[in-house]
Amino acid sequence: MSTERVDVLVIGSGAGGAVTALELASAGRGVCVLEEGARHELAQYGAGSVEAMQRLYRRRGMTPITGRVPIGYVEGACLGGSTEINSGFWHRTPREVLLRYKSQFDLQNASPEELDPHFEWAEQRLHVSLRGSAWPKSTQVFSRGIEAMGWSGQEVPRAASGCEDTNTCATGCPKGAKQGMSRAILPDAERAGARILTGCRARMLLTSKRRVTGVLAEIEHGTGAREMIRIDADHVFVCAGPTETPALLRRSGIKYHVGETLRIHPMLKVVARFPERIDAHESVLPLIQVKEFWPEVSLGGGFFTPGHLAMMLSDNWLATRGEMANFRNMAAYYVAVRGTGDGHVRPSRVGDATTHLRYDLSEEDHINLSHGLARLATLLLAAGAEEVFPTVHGIPTIRTEIEAIRWLDERLPRAGLSLTTVHAFSTCPIGERQDRCAANSFGKVFRWDNLYVNDASMLPDSPGVNPQGTVMALARRNALRFKDTAS
Amino acid sequence: MPSPRSQRAVIVLFGALGSAVFLYLAARRLDFSAVAATWRTAQPLPWVAFAVVCYIAGHLVRGLRLRVLVRRETALPWLTATNIVVIGYASNNVFPARLGELVRAGVLVERTGMPFGEALTITFIERLLDGMAILVVLVGAAAFSMHADTIDQVAKLAAILFGGALLVVVIGVLVPNVLLGLASRLTAPLGATWRDRALRITTHIINGGACLRDPRTALAVSLLSVVVWVLEASMFVCVLPAFGLPLRFPLGALAMSVTNLGILVPSTPGYIGPFHYFCQQTLMTQGIPATQALAYAVLVHLAFYVPVTAWGAAAILRYGVEIGRTVAAARAARTAPAGKTVDGVPVHFIAHVEPAHVTAEPGELMIALAEAFLPPCEPRAARDVAAFMEGQIAALPPSLRTMFHMGMTFFRFTVRLRHVSSFCGMPVERRREIVDAWAFGRIALLRQLFRPVRSLAVLAYYERPEVIRALAPPDSRPHLAVVGGP
Repeated sequence: MSTERVDVLVIGSGAGGAVTALELASAGRGVCVLEEGARHELAQYGAGSVEAMQRLYRRRGMTPITGRVPIGYVEGACLGGSTEINSGFWHRTPREVLLRYKSQFDLQNASPEELDPHFEWAEQRLHVSLRGSAWPKSTQVFSRGIEAMGWSGQEVPRAASGCEDTNTCATGCPKGAKQGMSRAILPDAERAGARILTGCRARMLLTSKRRVTGVLAEIEHGTGAREMIRIDADHVFVCAGPTETPALLRRSGIKYHVGETLRIHPMLKVVARFPERIDAHESVLPLIQVKEFWPEVSLGGGFFTPGHLAMMLSDNWLATRGEMANFRNMAAYYVAVRGTGDGHVRPSRVGDATTHLRYDLSEEDHINLSHGLARLATLLLAAGAEEVFPTVHGIPTIRTEIEAIRWLDERLPRAGLSLTTVHAFSTCPIGERQDRCAANSFGKVFRWDNLYVNDASMLPDSPGVNPQGTVMALARRNALRFKDTAS
Repeated sequence: MPSPRSQRAVIVLFGALGSAVFLYLAARRLDFSAVAATWRTAQPLPWVAFAVVCYIAGHLVRGLRLRVLVRRETALPWLTATNIVVIGYASNNVFPARLGELVRAGVLVERTGMPFGEALTITFIERLLDGMAILVVLVGAAAFSMHADTIDQVAKLAAILFGGALLVVVIGVLVPNVLLGLASRLTAPLGATWRDRALRITTHIINGGACLRDPRTALAVSLLSVVVWVLEASMFVCVLPAFGLPLRFPLGALAMSVTNLGILVPSTPGYIGPFHYFCQQTLMTQGIPATQALAYAVLVHLAFYVPVTAWGAAAILRYGVEIGRTVAAARAARTAPAGKTVDGVPVHFIAHVEPAHVTAEPGELMIALAEAFLPPCEPRAARDVAAFMEGQIAALPPSLRTMFHMGMTFFRFTVRLRHVSSFCGMPVERRREIVDAWAFGRIALLRQLFRPVRSLAVLAYYERPEVIRALAPPDSRPHLAVVGGP
């Protein structure tokens, strides 16, 4: 690294930024990673949700998506980004999705065969595997329901070999089983020479003609003192995540097709009460997903603690609060839909540098959520659930298949929906279609000579599955391409 | 080639000359004492106020139309779109020769990041739609007005002008490859650089017009254009009674149509001259005396000029401050002294930043809400929960936080009015009843207001170890039930 300039500046240390940093540092480039959040040791992980929200989540987990139906959204803001607080589920991008990327966005060099080596590399690094031991009870009952319905379902591989059922996926795995970026990728990047500045938030890219010359950033020192600094760089990779990457670009005056196409997987959660003990709060979340209705609808299991249970029941709290006493017999599941609505990301004009997210649920989303609830509730009842509690105001409970199946023909009340999501993407789509993409097939932002995006924001459209695998594979492909072509 | 400065001087001179000619034409042979008498007897209020409302409503519809036109490229908020339109109008009022159209395209580029060629094409399409809509209003108004050869001629000229332009646009929209091929062939002899440049500009123009390829969008913007000009005609109609003229829509619509077609002629800022001339002449064809017609034209022009110029100036100021801040920050950053390293990374120090203020203590309202949401519990537990809620609400994005606080102010005010007591001073049982009615009631908006606090309260409370222990005593816990397998 020169004494004046950074060779490659990577903004963000999540699935995209970490992979970029590792590949480029390994190739001998002078890499500097800026991470807004802090670095945490394993011993600091696994605290309760209340503490984890304050430590590991962006804006303490308070980043709602506004729209006709508000949607709760969270993402990580710590070294490793959202990979530190997700479930570790691993999916390769479905062939159909990649073909759509090709046909709709003219995304080059991203066929399943071309991405296979990158998936293999990532899977090896993250020790992606099936559980290999007995399923926890919340998975077993779900499996029982799938079998009773005759649907296809499968255990999803995870980047968490040796999981010890601490039920801390969402608060950081204290056992180090889950392979977040801070454990699986970034240490090697540092060994290869990458420098990481934590507590350092990029506020604006500095530009001159067609080049980004550096970044204006705010850094917090250990003492609590904060400084505004400038870091000069020859090449800049913005990997700040699906919401912050477009916000940073737009704040810097780079707006064309940036932040215009926020896509998410809207999720509706339900809680089921079974006659037997489930103790979902003491085990990993359910490991099976139903793909019978994919790509429109997926069914799976959610994170469960008594606190989260209370939140899920709180939509109909007056009718359901008594159920808290049965929490050991309960588990959480979800309906996730592909998300076909329109959304956007904008940096806030008032106050501190916050980001405003908006997504309007489409009619198709609404229908799919209604159908998904019908199917999930039917499955859970078939699995032996006595009652199903959807997070929909006005529908406190579903007790029979007839009550469940009505949502195949009727729409859930929009005003009563409590939706959440943890999957956001597509805010800076890549591809050769300049009329709808922000960057070319390898993440190089159009009209800029040395600016790249390389995180979930680059996915051209909804992948229909957990996006971490797709992000890592594409990010590695892009980083290798940069290594081969950039001077 | 003349310098930019002398080019500007020529434009200003040319515009001023045009204005002078039209002012002379409007005022020649005029009895100025009669004009003054007309003004003395005029009753501008409330008619001018109505006219301004119609004009502003027209601009809001123009904003909506722009939003629809750029929908493929960007999600432009309605107010921003309207501001862009208004800035264009205000700039035309202060710059000569309709240079406001370029300003409007420039602001569109700044707000959306779209290429200038595309923004200019969209601005051109807007003007074309305006022309066609004005023509529709003109033909409709003429059908209910006294026949005048001048108006017939104006209508025919406008039909040829806008019809021809529309034909070109339709060809560009429907068969873009023809335009691309033409651009490629024409610039091929100039070399690859110029051909690429021409193709890029042509692509931007085609993209700008692509919004019209969707029949629904084309229909929507056409209808919106008619609404815009009906509202503008209403502005002209509203001013008629101020001078004792009959409140007849065709008369105002006729004056509006001809005047707006007339001010296509480049002139000085604000169309001073052409506006008055064309407005006066149109009214005179309908038997209104010249003095009364000119007085009317002056008043309509003021209603047309003042509000939009003020609005545009305010919008320019707002965006200017925003852009200025960014530019200033970038400039300060660039000139920062070279300096030090942080963890081995070379950085340049710019300034110290004030540490963020974090509130650790919960407020009275949050404690009162926490107690109302939670089952009976230790004051310490309620206080901890309230502190968590306070911190989380403070972390909301500013706009949502403000909305939350406004909602809570409304809640407290309403409770005080209805119960003649403050919410925080009530017994907890009473507070529970009120919160249950608001947070779980039938009004979705109120449920949304309480959703964050109720979710945060129960989350924080049921995560507490002593609460979990109380729900499931340790001695009754079996070991982890793991049976079966994958």
